[in-house]
Amino acid sequence: MELLGNILYDTVYHSAPIILCAVGGMFAYKANVLNIALEGMMLNGAFVSVLTAYLTNNIWLAVLAALVTTLLWGLVFSFLGITCKGNVIVIGLGINLIVPAIAKFILKMMEMANINLSEMNVASFKINIPLIQDIPLVGQILSGHPPTTYLAFVAIVFFAVLMYKTRFGIYVRVVGENEDSAISLGIKTNRYKYAAVLIGALCCALAGIDLSLERLAMFTNDMTAGRGFIAIAAIYCGQGRPVPSALYAILFGVARSLAVNLSVYAGPAAGLFDTIPYIIMVTVLAVVSYVKFRGVKVRGFKLDQ
Amino acid sequence: MKKKWVKALGVILAGVMAMGSLTACGGGDDKEASGDSAKSEVKIAIICDSAGQNDNGYNQSAVNGAKKAAEELGVEYKVVEPTNGVPQALESLAEDGYNVIFNLEYDFEALIQGTGGAQPIAEMYPDITFVCVNDNPNKDENGEVLHDNVISALFDVHQASYVAGALSVLVNENAETLFGTENYNFTPADNGGRALGFVGGTNSNGITVFSYGFIEGANHVAEELGVNYDYYAKYDAGFADSATGSTVAGTYYNQGANVIFSVAGSVGDGVAAKAKEEGKLMIHVDANKDAQQSGSILTSVLKNTEVPVYEITKAAVEGTIDEMDRVQNYTLASGATSITDMAEISKYIQEGGQEKWEEIKAYLADLESQIGDGTITVTNAQNGEEFDASACGNITIK
Repeated sequence: MELLGNILYDTVYHSAPIILCAVGGMFAYKANVLNIALEGMMLNGAFVSVLTAYLTNNIWLAVLAALVTTLLWGLVFSFLGITCKGNVIVIGLGINLIVPAIAKFILKMMEMANINLSEMNVASFKINIPLIQDIPLVGQILSGHPPTTYLAFVAIVFFAVLMYKTRFGIYVRVVGENEDSAISLGIKTNRYKYAAVLIGALCCALAGIDLSLERLAMFTNDMTAGRGFIAIAAIYCGQGRPVPSALYAILFGVARSLAVNLSVYAGPAAGLFDTIPYIIMVTVLAVVSYVKFRGVKVRGFKLDQ
Repeated sequence: MKKKWVKALGVILAGVMAMGSLTACGGGDDKEASGDSAKSEVKIAIICDSAGQNDNGYNQSAVNGAKKAAEELGVEYKVVEPTNGVPQALESLAEDGYNVIFNLEYDFEALIQGTGGAQPIAEMYPDITFVCVNDNPNKDENGEVLHDNVISALFDVHQASYVAGALSVLVNENAETLFGTENYNFTPADNGGRALGFVGGTNSNGITVFSYGFIEGANHVAEELGVNYDYYAKYDAGFADSATGSTVAGTYYNQGANVIFSVAGSVGDGVAAKAKEEGKLMIHVDANKDAQQSGSILTSVLKNTEVPVYEITKAAVEGTIDEMDRVQNYTLASGATSITDMAEISKYIQEGGQEKWEEIKAYLADLESQIGDGTITVTNAQNGEEFDASACGNITIK
């Protein structure tokens, strides 16, 4: 029971940042400006929030600084990729490389190996919901998480509504699916692309804050450890739909949680659980693409030769 | 007009990004000895590994060794963080006439074997001494030395880990006396509290050597006290993902473990964060990181690269470097590996626990001398020695 509770708790722990990145990044995916800089933006959120908290001891300022600086990266990405029509993959890659480099550089200047907020206790960020926290299993899923983790799950619903039930969401999708007809309708396409990228940046900043400030009260180099790319995989597997993408993000959380928790019983072999999401990812993408192209004919001939 | 402005901004942004990536892979420091000490002709160079020279550990202590050598022996030193790979750094440093080159990165192929059909770098520069730290690649199938100008410096970290293991059990058994219950939240012994954890970066000899020493040390004390311990271990935590380190630690602490030993770089920082959150203890590695989470880090198992860098440089200055053994083992007695003096955690020992604490320290000192004189031998996985779990009857490895 205890173990199951731990597995559930850790699942929520590891899912939250990936969910945030996935549901945020999904708008850019839908607007046809794939943002592969999720990883870098998340790291920026993690780094700036902890750095600001370390320098000022003010959590609100830390959150604000993380959001603002990550939005700036979003603007850089949008400006180069949308206004200047640069290659978004190259620009995204650039951001993914430059953010950890800046973090390392600043740490080096400060002669620190990591930033550790010794004044802060992560336990104080946790929200323990009365009554619910005493219910076995449910308590571990619903209670005892920091605020941004809750926000991640709220974000799934919020962005699902935003994408399907609002004019904004429809316009973003139109822009992505057929830019020419969007222009012919008088939609300012660039504006929607900018907005889509910036939503992603904002969510990445929150994911970074969750990962570093709230959960560990510390920043270590490269601490995002590929979560941004996992989020991109989640977006692809869910084909940019909020709920499937989020479910896929949760799958990663489950696998990581199993790998961590079962090591008590299975020893190092538990690390195999970490491979499950990748196996599923390859399978899902292969099947989706097979189904999609099965009936496609090019100039009257079937594609597969 | 607007177009031009957009173009200009685009160029500027691209330029800034390019600049940024250049600064990120910074070059080296070139420091010359100050004039007052005896000037020496010897020039040494240190090639850092990917953690960089301010890692507060492995690389930084090597740089400290070089600084010490510069002050006391008057050598000139250079610290390099390779941007184009270790082989190129080795070559250009050799070309620049550095007499002793220390390579802290785990990349010896080009130096010893030569890559892409090229001559081994060690062979190209026979007058320069290359030092491989942490591994001994300089041997053929029969274990014979390949290049006479390559020295391998190895640390007997298994001995220090042994001491750490003994310390963990001693502290765990007396946790309440030592630390009280006010600020700490130890799992009582009858409730699964007789357990230790280990978090390693990769499943390789360089990591398991710590774990095996740790188990044997813990077993030594557990046997004396007639108690049984559980041992939880994860060997694939990687070196960067501190959040995973934190959750792994959370699992072990939840299972009852009160002390976790982490040999996994930044992942260990996550373990330390969790130890603070849970009010338990962890043991860090490589450098003295006790103050990083003051009160939660029991001690650190040191791999003090300062000692080999200084010792080998000294030999070079004195001209005895060619007579040195080609494999240098730095033992507990040499001071290159040990646990810290525990000054940081001592601050948290409560009034009534002081006596016990002194007792424990005296016990460890005795243990160290027993390891030093060979009464106690510890499995050294780095040398390919097999670990015999059945010999550790008081530890149940999960």
